[in-house]
Amino acid sequence: MRFTLIKDLKQDSMMKPILSGLLIFTLLYLISDIFVKSSSFGIFEEMIKTTLFGNEAEFLDPITTSAFLEFWHMEIFFIMMILLTLSAVFIRLSGAKGFNIIIVNAVMISALISLVALLLSFFLNAAFVQLYILSFFSWHVCAIYMSLYSLVRLYYD
Amino acid sequence: MTKAYKYSIVYFLVFSLLLILSGVLLFEYKIGFSVEQISSYYLGDEDKFINPQTSSSILKIITPHIFAFGLFIMVLLHFLIFTKKRSSKTLKAVIYLTFLSAILELLSPFGIINNIEFFAYVKLLSFIIFELLVLFSSWLLFRSIVYE
Repeated sequence: MRFTLIKDLKQDSMMKPILSGLLIFTLLYLISDIFVKSSSFGIFEEMIKTTLFGNEAEFLDPITTSAFLEFWHMEIFFIMMILLTLSAVFIRLSGAKGFNIIIVNAVMISALISLVALLLSFFLNAAFVQLYILSFFSWHVCAIYMSLYSLVRLYYD
Repeated sequence: MTKAYKYSIVYFLVFSLLLILSGVLLFEYKIGFSVEQISSYYLGDEDKFINPQTSSSILKIITPHIFAFGLFIMVLLHFLIFTKKRSSKTLKAVIYLTFLSAILELLSPFGIINNIEFFAYVKLLSFIIFELLVLFSSWLLFRSIVYE
């Protein structure tokens, strides 16, 4: 988090390409995460429900509890680390005022809701899958906006 | 520390709580919170159709965890350096104990598969101590954000 201490990031010839790289990698991760989930776990209701609860008609077994918990555990770790890093860069570059502070809160809250909704949909009620989908896309959209906004601020402002 | 960074850290703490919860649930479902269950998980149990763990299967599980534990502990504890607890003996003890419990939690399965029952106790105790220390560090950090 050394970048939080440098006075003018835009003029720093070392930190500028490093942060650009970080933001581009973050952006790539966010986009590829959507593609990977769409082909494995699912990003729409029907496929997610099939993954979680199986499908008797198609002889598909549901995910086991330990496999689900492993998936959930990894998701938490990745999301918390990505969002902490991204929000630190975003806050530093945007000045975190007005709309941008709302975005920071929105990305964090929607990511937390997506994780909790996923747990609840597996253990409590399948209806939470819809909340999971909504919050999953919300936090991805917010995080992509944060990455792009930070990149623009780094070069054009 | 600006207000916006404080928001990020508070959210990070909430994520940490979820991480602890998922870790505890995983431990309960996969292994179990008793010495007998820990031993049978690693040594195998014919009655419960549990295959014994090998060095390579343990290594496969702990390798990503070694990095993840190190990173997570560093991120969580380094925030405490920016609080009034910076020079306290408590923080120093928490830092050493957290890393120590994490390393014991990761490496104790190797002792268990070599039939040293003592390491099943180490696994259980180090897991509990590690989770409690993370909770305690999170509480210290949360308190300093709210009251300092």
